[in-house]
Amino acid sequence: MDFSQMNAAEQAQMSRILEKKQMQDFLKMYSNLVERCFTTCCNDFTSKALSSKEEQCLSHCADKFLKHSERVGARFAELNAEQMGVTDK
Amino acid sequence: MSFLGRGPAAPSSAGSLSSERVEAAIQEVELITDVFNRIVSSCHSKCINQRYLDGELSKGESVCIDRCVAKFFDANKKMGEKLQAMGASAGGAGGLTSL
Repeated sequence: MDFSQMNAAEQAQMSRILEKKQMQDFLKMYSNLVERCFTTCCNDFTSKALSSKEEQCLSHCADKFLKHSERVGARFAELNAEQMGVTDK
Repeated sequence: MSFLGRGPAAPSSAGSLSSERVEAAIQEVELITDVFNRIVSSCHSKCINQRYLDGELSKGESVCIDRCVAKFFDANKKMGEKLQAMGASAGGAGGLTSL
């Protein structure tokens, strides 16, 4: 994104807001991830402890989710740049 | 930004805090992150095998993700055009004030 047309005060305000938003987004992603992986991995409540199978499932689920969002991010950036290039002409 | 055919925010000369420029930039960031999060969530549901036998994306999943993101973009664009067309025709017919 291009913030170069802003003055210093605006840029400072912008980065403060973005920092806050990043924190919020991270927390949202975290709780989202827990919910998603818990829902798919933990379905047996005959014990209160996580079984090794569930633990492994959770670990794979988290790994996979992060790789997934990384890949989406890469494609997203490409397509977004492409689209902006078309409309900005 | 290009979503829904909105042009980039026009540069203004206002220097006060929370200027229009900052507001517009924030709105743009929120729109983009919102779309991004929707894509992550939707394509995860559609493409990722729920059995989690390992922590790597399979080849099929990777291809699915690539296509899913591209398709979401296309769908997003199509809906934007559609809404704009609806707004234009409703405005032209004098029924509703333009969107």
